[in-house]
Amino acid sequence: MSESYLKMKGISKHFFGTYVLKNVDLKVGEGEVLALMGANGAGKSTLMNILGGVLEPNEGSITIGGASRTFRSVSDSEKAGIGFIHQELALCPTMTVAENMFINRFPVKGGVIDRRVIREQAKTVLDTLGCKIDVLEIVRNLSAGDKQLVEIARALLTNAKILIFDEPTSSLALEEKSRFFDIIRALQKEQKVIIYITHFLDEIFSICDQVQVLRNGETSGDGILKDYNHHDIVSMMVGDLDIRKEKKISKAADKVLKVDQLSRTGVLDSISFELHRGEILGLWGLMGSGRTEVLRAISGLDPIDAGHISVNFNGSMQKVHPKRVKKWAGMVTENRREDGLFLPLSVASNISSANLMTLLSKNRFTVQKQKEEQAARNQVEALNIKISNLDQTAGTLSGGNQQKVILARWLSKAPPIFFMDEPTRGVDVGAKNEIHNIIKNLSGRGFSLLVVSSEIEEMMELCHRYLVIHSGRIVKELPGEAAKKDLMIWASGAGSEAGSEAGSEAPGNVNLGTEGEAEREK
Amino acid sequence: MFQQAPCIICLKPADRVKDVYLHISIKKSEGTWNMLDQTQNEDRNSSTTQLMLTFFKSVSNSPLFIFGVIAVVLSITVPNFLSVRNIVNLLTQSSTIGLMALGMTFVLILGGLDLSIPANMAFSGILGALYMRDIGSPVIAALIMVAVGTAVGCINGFAVAKLKMIPFIVTLSMQAILIGSSIWITKNDSVYNLPDAFGDTILFRMGIVPLPVLVLFVITIITHIVLKLSFFGRWIYYVGINKNAAGVSGIPAETVTFFGYLLSGFFSGLAAIIVTARLNSASASMGSENIVLDIVSSAVVGGVSIYGGVGTALGAVIGVIFITVITNTMNLLHVPYYLTLVIKGLVIISVVGFDSLRSIRRS
Repeated sequence: MSESYLKMKGISKHFFGTYVLKNVDLKVGEGEVLALMGANGAGKSTLMNILGGVLEPNEGSITIGGASRTFRSVSDSEKAGIGFIHQELALCPTMTVAENMFINRFPVKGGVIDRRVIREQAKTVLDTLGCKIDVLEIVRNLSAGDKQLVEIARALLTNAKILIFDEPTSSLALEEKSRFFDIIRALQKEQKVIIYITHFLDEIFSICDQVQVLRNGETSGDGILKDYNHHDIVSMMVGDLDIRKEKKISKAADKVLKVDQLSRTGVLDSISFELHRGEILGLWGLMGSGRTEVLRAISGLDPIDAGHISVNFNGSMQKVHPKRVKKWAGMVTENRREDGLFLPLSVASNISSANLMTLLSKNRFTVQKQKEEQAARNQVEALNIKISNLDQTAGTLSGGNQQKVILARWLSKAPPIFFMDEPTRGVDVGAKNEIHNIIKNLSGRGFSLLVVSSEIEEMMELCHRYLVIHSGRIVKELPGEAAKKDLMIWASGAGSEAGSEAGSEAPGNVNLGTEGEAEREK
Repeated sequence: MFQQAPCIICLKPADRVKDVYLHISIKKSEGTWNMLDQTQNEDRNSSTTQLMLTFFKSVSNSPLFIFGVIAVVLSITVPNFLSVRNIVNLLTQSSTIGLMALGMTFVLILGGLDLSIPANMAFSGILGALYMRDIGSPVIAALIMVAVGTAVGCINGFAVAKLKMIPFIVTLSMQAILIGSSIWITKNDSVYNLPDAFGDTILFRMGIVPLPVLVLFVITIITHIVLKLSFFGRWIYYVGINKNAAGVSGIPAETVTFFGYLLSGFFSGLAAIIVTARLNSASASMGSENIVLDIVSSAVVGGVSIYGGVGTALGAVIGVIFITVITNTMNLLHVPYYLTLVIKGLVIISVVGFDSLRSIRRS
């Protein structure tokens, strides 16, 4: 390959003085599949948004097929033959497959849409993908994999030469994945230029030939994929061996929560673990691995198909229905605006919402204002929530203070268990530290926490123990002092290979009893 | 009447609107407010003045104030408006719509809708009336009306809360079912020849105050307290504002929703008793679709949001009285029926439009 078809050179992008991309080069040739890797926030999406015409770079140039190009909009980029297949599938669910494929360029005949042409062209393109979806099927009725095929077909319809796939397999079932890989290989034969963004290490080794890894907005490694192994890629993603802080590991205290063979078809598979008093247990996994779903299933927000949950009730473990786990657990959800806060209501009533029954007057019916305000005031002071008064509405607070209001809600109820999903998402650095301290403090006071976060540094800062989730299963239990590299390897699904090198057992056969105990004793 | 449009727009009693509300009054009479503030400073030691000012300030924030202003204007301009007879008549008219609007308030705050309320009222009224005409005791008849209304509310509640059906469809179908059944049962005729004791008891006057007015008064206060002060009321607001967050907080959102519709049915049953007594008969035509418009618009004019989470019982009932006053004034002024409808529609649209503008400006 003498000259690469697509070349991005010296791309830099900064927002308000913060560099997201620094002098990044990228090149892909015809018939090549480039794996673009990087942890969250490494700059992958920004780079691809620049190529897709969503963002304009501050510096750098793009050359396609030898001609220099500048993109001011998505349609500029489309005209240059770039097709972006997004992670969140962008289809209109109530329209047919054919209509979705032609959504922005309906062929018109005599003032009306020429349906015959749409049908025939759509069918032709889908046939080249070897796919048998009926073009008149309503998109809503398709599986995730088929929807994705429709998206790919839509990109091919514009004669896209360069195809960008953003986390294409995260919503696919296993057999859909293998069909998808076949299609990628077919596209490769047609001399398409393919950029493949993913977190999953095992995938890239089966279909990509080039690799480029970004870290903190810079290229930390690139070249021919065959020259690297899993460990090399992970090292490039997370940087060199990390410095871990000393952490006091909680001794095997009494159990407060036991989850046994919890399953939800297609989502979670035989999830079993125990949570101890005072422990911060991290559910670590990549986006789409099922980590959030575990929390939602345990707390009764999602239905389960099998398994049971026990909680410590006056010293003995008793089985409870998932819907009743809420009595023992506080839940800090991933998206505070959607399922956390009551935005138009006051801070005081946001804090009291989970705990209203203990704030009643003697008549057991009306809420006692003084009690409610006192409870709220205590938490506002303890958590250092910055508000002008308790009547201020939650919607007017900053992200960090909103998150603290949710923590305050559960602290005022003080259940023995806390489930925290992304406890510091979208909060500033100061508030993040404070929230970390609140979490550690809770653990110190004997509360048990189950924490999910997509930031590996946060997990490493907080957790006493990790359960690594991949494809809805617990693939590995790691001790609190586990290295960043191990966490990444197991989470990326490459654990079996790397695991055997490291001399530990294969994923799937996780022994949660003795081995886990032994590791924690160390 | 048209000249009063600005006043009408100000009738926005929800608590949360206070700031905007005040903002507007200040804008309108900036000079006056400044003057008042100064007076307050100068007469700091004059407690009476201060007391009056505090009173004035707090009252001017409430819908009652604007309502009072409108009442005074009407009493001067419209003949017979302030006569005792007209006021009593007006309140009695308000009592049935008021009870139904209270039921609707629960459902609206929950973020739902109950279009079956008037139909439910007619249906329960007919069953109760049939019972006391053909079998006996007016007391049991009244209980039947309430029980039937509540049962219908339970069906709606089950469909919406547990089966997660869309309130609009559920209650619209329920309305069709109930009106259809009512016509079928009565062969589209009125059920009359009811025992005198029924009407006499229900329409009994204490002094000049008829029982229905008293009932509305008491029930409005109870409802207001339940919504504003009780844990159940709080749950209703939580669910109406953010059902997901309520669920995560451990609030039994489904049960709360179910009870909202149950109460809506219960209030329909109560309204059925009063309507049947006033007409001294019951018929399917009691549940005409126009009443739904009156109920919803009263609640909305009274500050209950159709998007859920906002509103008070007191506001809704004031909205009812307001709508009734418009109708009543039109009658006193001998305005033709069709024009009354047009004016009512305009008033409702301007109030809701104002509400919408306000939320646009906020976001």
